This record gives sequence, structure tokens and C-alpha cells, in this order.
Amino acid sequence: MTAKLDSQRRLINLWILRTSIGLSLVSILAGLGVFLAKGADYAPHTPSGSIAAIIVDVCQEASSLHASAFLDIGVLVMLFTPLARLLSGVVVNIRSRDWLYVAVGLLVAGLVLTGLISGQG
Amino acid sequence: MSPLLTVLVVLLGGLVAGAIGSLTGLGGGLVIVPLLTLVLHLPVPEAVGVSLFGVIATSTGAAPRFVGTGYNNVRLGLFLQVAASSGALVGALISHKVPARLLFLIFGIVMLYSAVMSFMPTQHDAAGAPEDSPLAKRFRLGSRYQRDGQWVEYKVAGVAPAFGIMVGAGFLSALLGIGSGVFKVLAMDRLMRLPFKVSTATSNFMIGMTAATSAGYYLSHGDVSPLVAGPVIVGVLAGAYIGGHWMTVLPVKTLRRIFAVVLSFVAVDMLLKGLGA
Repeated sequence: MTAKLDSQRRLINLWILRTSIGLSLVSILAGLGVFLAKGADYAPHTPSGSIAAIIVDVCQEASSLHASAFLDIGVLVMLFTPLARLLSGVVVNIRSRDWLYVAVGLLVAGLVLTGLISGQG
Repeated sequence: MSPLLTVLVVLLGGLVAGAIGSLTGLGGGLVIVPLLTLVLHLPVPEAVGVSLFGVIATSTGAAPRFVGTGYNNVRLGLFLQVAASSGALVGALISHKVPARLLFLIFGIVMLYSAVMSFMPTQHDAAGAPEDSPLAKRFRLGSRYQRDGQWVEYKVAGVAPAFGIMVGAGFLSALLGIGSGVFKVLAMDRLMRLPFKVSTATSNFMIGMTAATSAGYYLSHGDVSPLVAGPVIVGVLAGAYIGGHWMTVLPVKTLRRIFAVVLSFVAVDMLLKGLGA
């Protein structure tokens, strides 16, 4: 059972890492491509505000092929990768009933999430 | 500098930071922050915010190499991350209140310290802890890793002092935009007496989470320009990949020392900027 869960943990971890790297690279390169196509004087805007508001803005801009939206998607994917790895570990620990490390993982996730929302004030 | 040239310079800087970080273990933040502040003249909070994304990319890009080797002690990393993320949270919250000159001074000192540590011998799997400390037993921190095809068990000592150092490492990470890997590895190597590869892999796992704790704060404050952060992420990921493949053929120890000397010169430049000279 433990070996099976360890194997699952490895596979999930690798999937998250590879998906994140691929998605981030493709998105940022697409953004740089749009930036170059629109001319070097075109300056993408810098996002600010709550993370939720930034995500909504990015989704709206992506539909109109804004370079900054593609760049922001790549940046956001990177930002959420450690959290995704963390939460996948929590799920595996729940399945193995390792409640101590479910608690530790949730505590760390809480701290990371607090950091993510603390800048919006 | 035109936006196009900025993109190219940052992309190249990220590539160098990723390759050096991967080859020498000295974090990419020590390259990216000076590049953005001293060469591109970005304000310190913007350089720090962008660099934190480079740190996450370093951690993410290197992580697949460690999967399945047992080098990354996930339980230990999570346990210590409570301390590192707490420190990072405090560092992020005060980051915009610290004067730029003071940040340059602290950065210069951390760089010099990192450079000096490059010349110090690591313990490299010398006699590990003879037994788990009470805290290590309580949290089941001891584990095993692969060495020469065999699984080798190890014990963990000095948990409480290492936990304290992690708070400081997290704080500096958020304040300076670095991974603070040099402090994390030091605590795990010297205090907890872990095998060196376990220390470096676990530190790599932790630096991404530490940086993510404070990176969102800088993003929300409007400090992370996508035109700068994007090329940094691409450069670091590509550099880490290249560095990982050259690791076996290049004289890493010599490279690490050469880089440490370069780092010392940049550190002096940062210190002078901090002193207003």
C-alpha cells in the first residue's frame, strides 16, 4: 500500500512539474511572440490588485490576444506550481491517513495562501 | 533601454542565473537582482518581485531530477517550511517599508557570505546523526536515500535550531528576492547532519514554496512586470536544463569558486550603493 502511494506521489508530482513547465513556457513564448509582432514600442501593462482580480483580467485579455495576458498566464502558472505540489501531497497523505502531515501540509498551504492574498490591501 | 533590448538582456540573465544556480547551487536570485537593479536600474521592489518568480522557476525546473531518488525528504521539507513560510510572510509584509539603501546593504552582506561559504568544505555525507532527536522522532523526519544503487537510512539531529534558521531564511528570501538556499543547506548540512544531496534537494523543494509565499504579495502590489518576469522564467528554466546536463562534464567546484569571486565584486558594488558611495 505504501509503495503504491509512493509511486502515485511520484507520478502526480512529475505530472504537475512537467505540465507547469510546459504550460508556462508555451504561454510566455506566445506572449513574447505577440509582443514582437505588435512592435517593440508596445508595452504590456503590469498587473496589480487582488490575485482573483488579476486572474479575471488575464482571462478577459487573453480573448483579445493581448501579449500581457499570455505573459501573465505563464507567470501565474509558475506562482501556483508550488501550491499545487503542496496540495497534491496533502491529498496523498489523506489517502494514506497520515493525519500529522495532512495538518502540517494544510498549515503550510494556509501560509502560502495568506501570502498570496496579503498584497491586495 | 528599449523594451526589446530589455527582454533580450533579461532572457540572457535568466539563462545565466539558471545555469549557474543549477551548476553551483548558488541561487539565481544572486544574479537576477543585481542585473535588474544595477544594469536595468529597476526599483528594488520590482527586481525582488521578478526575482522571486525566477526562484520558483529554479525550484520547479530542478525538481524532476530528484523525483524517485529519495534525495528530497518531503516530510522534513514540509516541517521546516512552516518556519520558512512564516518568515517569508513577515518579510513580504515589511518589504515596502524598508529603505532601498538598507536592502542593498543586506543584499551585499548576504552575497559576500554566500561567496565565502563557496570556499568552505561541505560535510559531504560525513558521519551523520547517530540517532534521531526527540522532535525528529515525533515528526518522523528520518528517511532514506539512494547511494550507489543502495537505499541508505539516515537520522536527523538539531531540528529546533534549524527551524529557527529557516524563519530567518524565509524572511531574507521575501525581502531580497533570493531562494536563501545557502542558509537552508547550511542548517540541514551542519545542524541536522543530513546527507549533502538530501540537504540540497530538500532545500530546492523548499525555496519554491518560500518564494511563492511572498511572490503573490509583490504581484498584487504591481511590482512584477510580465515583460521582465516572463523572460526571467523562460531563461531560468532553459538555464537550469542546460546546467543540469553540463553538470557531469564541467569542473563544478572550480566554476563555483570563480562565480564566488565574481559574486564578491558585485557584492562590494551593492554595499557601496547601500552606503551611498
